[in-house]
Amino acid sequence: MNFTRRDFVRISLGSAACAATPRIVAQGIATHTVKPEARPTPSGLPFHAHFTDIAEAAGLKAPTIYGGIENKRYILEANGCGCAFIDYDNDGWMDIFLLCGTRLEGAPPDATNRLYKNNRDGTFTDVTDKAGLRAAGWANGVCIADYNNDGFDDIFCTYFGQNRLYRNNGDGTFTDVTKQAGLWDDGPARWGAGCAFVDYNRDGHLDLFVSNYIRYSLEHAPVPGESSTCNWKGVPVNCGPRGLPTGRHSLYRNNGDGTFTDVSKQSGIAAATESYGMTVVTADFDEDGWPDIFVACDSTPSLLFMNNHDGTFREEGVLRGVALSDDGMEQAGMGVGVGDYHLDGHLDLFKTHFIDDTCGFYRNDGKGNFDDVSRLTKVAVETRFTSWGTGIVDLDNDGYPDVLFVTGSVYPEVERKLPQFPYKTPRVLFRNLGNSTFEEMNGSASEGITTPHSSRGCAFGDFDNDGDMDVLIINLNEAPSLLRNDQEPKQHWIKVKLEGVKSNRSAIGARVLVHYGGKTQAQAVVSQSSYYSCNDSRLHFGLGATKLVDIDVYWPNGLHETYKKVDGDQLVTFREGVGRVANKGWAKG
Amino acid sequence: MRIRSWFRLLLALFFAHLLLVAQTTDVIGPITSALRSGQFDEALQLLQPELQRSPRNAQLWALDGIALSGKGDKKNALAAFRHALGISPDYLPALEGAAQIEYESGDKDAVSLLQHILQLRPNESTSHAMLAALAYRSGDCAAAVPHFEQSGSRLDDQPVALQEYGTCLVRMKEFEKAIGVFGRALAGSNEDAGARYRMASVQMMAHHPQDALETLQPILRTSNARVNTDVLELASSAYEAAGNTPEAVRVLRRAIVADPHNVDLYLDFANISIDHQSYEVGVDMINAGLRAEPNAAPLYLARGILYVQLAQFDKAEADFARADAIDPGHSIGSAAEGLAAVQKNDPKQALATVRAKLAKKPNDPFLLYLQADILLQPGPEPGSADFREAMLSAKKAVSLGPSLGAAHDVLAKLYLQAGQNDAAVEQSRKALAIDAKDQTALYHLIQGLRKGGQQKEEIPELLKRLADLRMEGTKQEAEHNRYKLVEQETPPVKDERP
Repeated sequence: MNFTRRDFVRISLGSAACAATPRIVAQGIATHTVKPEARPTPSGLPFHAHFTDIAEAAGLKAPTIYGGIENKRYILEANGCGCAFIDYDNDGWMDIFLLCGTRLEGAPPDATNRLYKNNRDGTFTDVTDKAGLRAAGWANGVCIADYNNDGFDDIFCTYFGQNRLYRNNGDGTFTDVTKQAGLWDDGPARWGAGCAFVDYNRDGHLDLFVSNYIRYSLEHAPVPGESSTCNWKGVPVNCGPRGLPTGRHSLYRNNGDGTFTDVSKQSGIAAATESYGMTVVTADFDEDGWPDIFVACDSTPSLLFMNNHDGTFREEGVLRGVALSDDGMEQAGMGVGVGDYHLDGHLDLFKTHFIDDTCGFYRNDGKGNFDDVSRLTKVAVETRFTSWGTGIVDLDNDGYPDVLFVTGSVYPEVERKLPQFPYKTPRVLFRNLGNSTFEEMNGSASEGITTPHSSRGCAFGDFDNDGDMDVLIINLNEAPSLLRNDQEPKQHWIKVKLEGVKSNRSAIGARVLVHYGGKTQAQAVVSQSSYYSCNDSRLHFGLGATKLVDIDVYWPNGLHETYKKVDGDQLVTFREGVGRVANKGWAKG
Repeated sequence: MRIRSWFRLLLALFFAHLLLVAQTTDVIGPITSALRSGQFDEALQLLQPELQRSPRNAQLWALDGIALSGKGDKKNALAAFRHALGISPDYLPALEGAAQIEYESGDKDAVSLLQHILQLRPNESTSHAMLAALAYRSGDCAAAVPHFEQSGSRLDDQPVALQEYGTCLVRMKEFEKAIGVFGRALAGSNEDAGARYRMASVQMMAHHPQDALETLQPILRTSNARVNTDVLELASSAYEAAGNTPEAVRVLRRAIVADPHNVDLYLDFANISIDHQSYEVGVDMINAGLRAEPNAAPLYLARGILYVQLAQFDKAEADFARADAIDPGHSIGSAAEGLAAVQKNDPKQALATVRAKLAKKPNDPFLLYLQADILLQPGPEPGSADFREAMLSAKKAVSLGPSLGAAHDVLAKLYLQAGQNDAAVEQSRKALAIDAKDQTALYHLIQGLRKGGQQKEEIPELLKRLADLRMEGTKQEAEHNRYKLVEQETPPVKDERP
């Protein structure tokens, strides 16, 4: 709504002094307060996906330690972390990687990132120590890709402190190669937030973009109630990010020999200084064959770096309509879903925001210009929750991508004084009605959706290889959720896995169009989306009643290939310049 | 213009003219001598036979006019001057005499006479001053200001004229020039407190709070009993704008103690509380105000807003209802109930509330704007009934309230959604003309220009402007975040400090 709190107060009070009343600072990770729209009448249409949280049964029992439980003194404890689906052993079954935080008073023994191997029977085994991935700290984001093109996916984690690059050795173990790779930062601790592998110069090697959140030090950090930015609705809470100095983002060029060079300045990335960076998504938004970089930013305009094709970028988020609300106000951008809700073959964006604000749905015109369609799509009914991880994913395989996001407050102390603002809140599911509008399903959604948690990152993937998309969710100071998707009746689907040859092996930056039943859906291969998380690298398309599809693949290095009349209900793997090849491990679920 | 000085001026001009035309005669000498010594009847007696002998002597008629003016016979004096001008249209003393009489009587003929004088003597500062005053009185500051400028130092002992000059500059938003003019008024005012107050007010308008405080200091240093609350209120605003919130609050509390029935002072306090997110302190101060003025609708409104910030919506709604009941003519009060419903995430109730208010006040631009905005919330498709209604409502709002920037903003948004980019650009420009710092309008303008493909060369500068406004806003926020208001443990007492 055009009517921010500033306007409300200024016009209402009407005294001369009000003319100079500046923008009201609500607090913390947002100042933009928007009013929701009225909920439309339910469609009554059945939704054939049902979600059951099987995390405990699957063996995912360890809690994600992250800061205080009853109180969060610092914003560092509140933001949480991401998670990933990764097939680290190339057996065709998605394994799980969960980041973890720590506590102010020191890391408890069970505070570590965790790698879980998929046992292929609905359970997982903790192989963290065996893999060499035990690590405690304030982990934030994870991005997954094969940076050295050796055929095995590697892991990069951002931290408040030292970011880490773990090279997959191909034998079930990882090695921390941060220093050798030239990614070690000897300076004061930085707050690494989102990250993404991207081959920005199309040389076949994956480069690395890291967003930064705040320039921060616990030693000098303000405390709850200390100033205006440390209060929320009259309750003293952790401070920031407003009022705290912004972080600086980094772009590292892959030298092709296992090392990286910081090219932040020469690429133009370093010029974007006034932003609290969060999740990073890289894709070719203007379809010119070169990857662009979108950064969701908290309480500052989000960033869209457009690739100039010469090793540099120009930042055009405001110009292209994707940085601010439709009233030109900054929002608390946290998570990003990328997909094609409109089925026009272009990559749209869905951005999650703070409580009292709608999520932002941005429709791409194919040239990298976006319109805010939050209200037109009817997702603006929901403003009750602070929202984090998200995805534009066809959860019921009807051929129309849906939207799911996870939620959770950042202020556990507020609930005690204002119970109408609980700390743990439900997931939110918007099903696509097929006419470019959405319907919120929470009243009729399954328990896996409605059970409240304080969640952060989430990853979408098919861990049981049954042809539908499951959801892995980080819950702060609780065990994660693993929502198994069960569909009845089942509808058709197809998964597309890409292997680059001239392009980077992970095919990060590839754009895939699947044509089915008169519809066209675009997806991109990315190394991070949602909130600080990484999805299953196999692109999943629900097909509804259609069984046969055509597929267009736009490879990162420019090659365009078309595959006609491909059967649905299977995983297809395409190798660049070769064509269809055998799947690794899993043939058909 | 003062009369006393005029007569001497006119005589001086006449003699200057005589020197110019070297027309000193035995006849004229005694007449002028009589005039100089204030012997008007004698001068008239001397003039009578001369006028009969030389009825077409403009000089004599002018002297006749001067004598009659001296006697206070304005009507006949004017006739005499007019008669002189009939003989010699460019005869300056007659022009000046007639102009003065017409000016004093408020006759619009004074303008043409003064303009005629200026044609003959373009730098004649008195005529400029008189034309400036006439233009000011007719509300034409654009015409007045050039004449004020040309009046030069003629105005320095004319405090009213300087004030009019300064006021015009303020109306034309030329605050820096206005400061200079009010400074002249202050310099010649012999430490008049009103002159200090006006100067400081303009300095605040020009965003020079430190200068305003310096100007006010001599008044603030006086004892409590003598400082009026307008000055204290202005000083409080200046302290707050200068980032000295503790002093702003102290001075404002002093004002409230001195004038506890002044509702505006409590509203100012509420403003500071909101700026510093100290809502409970604001509520407490408003409560004190309501004890002094229990029927002050603005105080209920302000307290309602504070309750909204605290998410105490029931209390907020009760206060808005009370404000509306006390003063139903105040549209903001009417709208506040709807606004509170919106803030409470209840847009259906918000629309119902606003519609009910509109039924009673169908031409209230603020309510019309609010209706448009609420209708826009569900994202109606362009062309749908709700969209058309929102568009009509917004158009009516800007037509009835052209200075309501928010209405232009929502109309621009509607046009953007409808693909009418040129119209969106037009509305955004209107909003920016009202408030150059309206970031919403600036953003809509950028989007409208980009989508319309027009004037794209303007876009980079607009983007920079938007970024600069954001930076400015961030700095202001940082300033406000330095302080938080807390409750005093002991009740406030009269502050004896200057």
